[in-house]
Amino acid sequence: MIMNRRSLMTTALTLGAMKAFPGLSYAQARPLVFATFTGSWEEAHKAVLVPAFRKANADAAMVLDPMLSVDQIAKVNAAKANPPIDVMLHDPGPALVAIGQDLVEPYPVEKSAYYKDLIAEAQEPMGPAPFFQVVGLTYNPEAVKTPPTSWADLWKPEFKGRVGITNLNSTLGTGWLVEIAKMRGGSEANVDPGFKAIEELKPNLAAVAANPGALATLFQQGQIDISPGNFNAIQILKARGVPVEFVAPKEGAIAFKTTIHIVKNSPNRELAFKLIEASLTPEVQTTLMNPPYLIVPTNSKVTMGGEIARVLAKDTAELKQKFVFQDWKKINEQRSAWIERFNREIKI
Amino acid sequence: MGAAPATRDVTSYGMGLAAPLALFFLVFFVAPLLQLLWLSLHNDTAALHWGLGQYLHFLTDPFSLSVLGSTLLLGAEVTAVCLVLGFPIAWLYQRVGPKLQTIIILIVLLPLLTSVVVRTFAWIVILGRQGIINATLQSLGIIDTPLKLLYTQFGVVIALAQVQMPLMTLPLITALGRIDPNLDDASCSLGAGSWRTFFRVVLPLSLPGVIAGCTLTYAAAITAFITQSLIGGGQMLFMPMYLYQQASTLQNWPFASAISIIFLLAVLAVVSVFTTLGRLSRGYGGT
Repeated sequence: MIMNRRSLMTTALTLGAMKAFPGLSYAQARPLVFATFTGSWEEAHKAVLVPAFRKANADAAMVLDPMLSVDQIAKVNAAKANPPIDVMLHDPGPALVAIGQDLVEPYPVEKSAYYKDLIAEAQEPMGPAPFFQVVGLTYNPEAVKTPPTSWADLWKPEFKGRVGITNLNSTLGTGWLVEIAKMRGGSEANVDPGFKAIEELKPNLAAVAANPGALATLFQQGQIDISPGNFNAIQILKARGVPVEFVAPKEGAIAFKTTIHIVKNSPNRELAFKLIEASLTPEVQTTLMNPPYLIVPTNSKVTMGGEIARVLAKDTAELKQKFVFQDWKKINEQRSAWIERFNREIKI
Repeated sequence: MGAAPATRDVTSYGMGLAAPLALFFLVFFVAPLLQLLWLSLHNDTAALHWGLGQYLHFLTDPFSLSVLGSTLLLGAEVTAVCLVLGFPIAWLYQRVGPKLQTIIILIVLLPLLTSVVVRTFAWIVILGRQGIINATLQSLGIIDTPLKLLYTQFGVVIALAQVQMPLMTLPLITALGRIDPNLDDASCSLGAGSWRTFFRVVLPLSLPGVIAGCTLTYAAAITAFITQSLIGGGQMLFMPMYLYQQASTLQNWPFASAISIIFLLAVLAVVSVFTTLGRLSRGYGGT
């Protein structure tokens, strides 16, 4: 065989392409890929969940690939037969989208050692919830001397120009709208009272932030003194010395299930199951409940402690009593119409 | 054939060298763009039914059109501010010694050396309720209650103008540098005042730079997702945020694609107006 420059180049390019796009060659064994969320979630999972999983599974190789829920769905959708992700993590809205588009497998409940210990709300047959995210009232204790107790406090005249909210792009914004609608006689199917309530809130509104992260920074800038806020986002600010406190309103703090799913057609089905099992263990959930993570556990065998016991719930019974769960199936049906309406009506 | 080496077209080398970049653009720019167009021509989110429904929806919806209008207007405002503030700097640059020139260039380029996110956050600190502007005005006793600067159109325009300023100033500096300084003297010695010289000689000759600067600033300002959303907030909707909302939160990709295509065409229209003005100005500057 004569090796000339051209054939050498072709071979080199082909090899290079195979290296760059492994999918070209053949389906090959790859490590377990877990698409967690970015930011504090990634840190918590890297430090606690991954080591626990590897210890229990003979150092099995795994990769954390942090990305937003919507990106997870897009990536799996683009390659349904050979998905690049084995385990997905979702907020309630995107979880229903993923299930609706047939991207996830039912969780093998009968094989699971921990599923039955989860509190009832966390037992989701299409993918259990290893954590809760909690939304309540957040405020600046230096400016707000009497801690707020109810969502209705946001409408108090003393907070004129001091209230911040987010738009409905976020789970936080949408969940909050549903909650204030419920407070005024509405429901997941009817948020008209919620929109009327926001209309009345306008004199108090200092900011409608584009996302929960941007909302949290407004406390830092003194732009707002009170807002609906995510428990975990506030802990990060608090740890950096920003004067901000979280309180569960008497109507109940809004709890979102963060669910974890085995991706359909995953080549690492067994390991994916093992990773999810690890996330449900009392040990992992206890570690994640402690500082600096403060992630609300769902396993009823976990004894609540620290900041979570102080501001949220001392035990599972109290947690059930103080948390409100929303029907995201109903919410998803009309969410795009609400976003459109919010776009049009809420101008400050 | 035998004479081929002698008559070999030298430009063919250039084409060959451009091929890798052309291929890159074809694969990573043209192909996705066509895919976007294909997706936008479907009436349902699963992209099964062909139709112009998405475009009709956008073009018959006063709200969507107002988002497009306010975005194009935002670009015009930012461009105008950049031009008015940037021209004197460029003009000054041509009239000072080399030491000052280095300082001016450094000041102009400095914003480009920090990330847009950092620059935008700096503006949040400046414009906030307890920000630099409000704190200064309050301590001087000019205002009692803080002015609302953040989350206003004014705030977005000011922040964007600062963030995009180098895109205006650099072409202006180049264009003004090409003007023969003798022309100024000639104009003066023929009896024109300095304003007349500026408007009849300097400005027309610098028009290519003005057009280039305006095009760059405009395109950058209307697509500046980060600055628009952080300074404008969640209730001030511009095209990039509208697009993001439809694509990411609502997963309505066909409509998001249609928004992108319409936005792209609108921007191309504005840019081609600039280019036409540029061509006209070349004739004007030459006579």
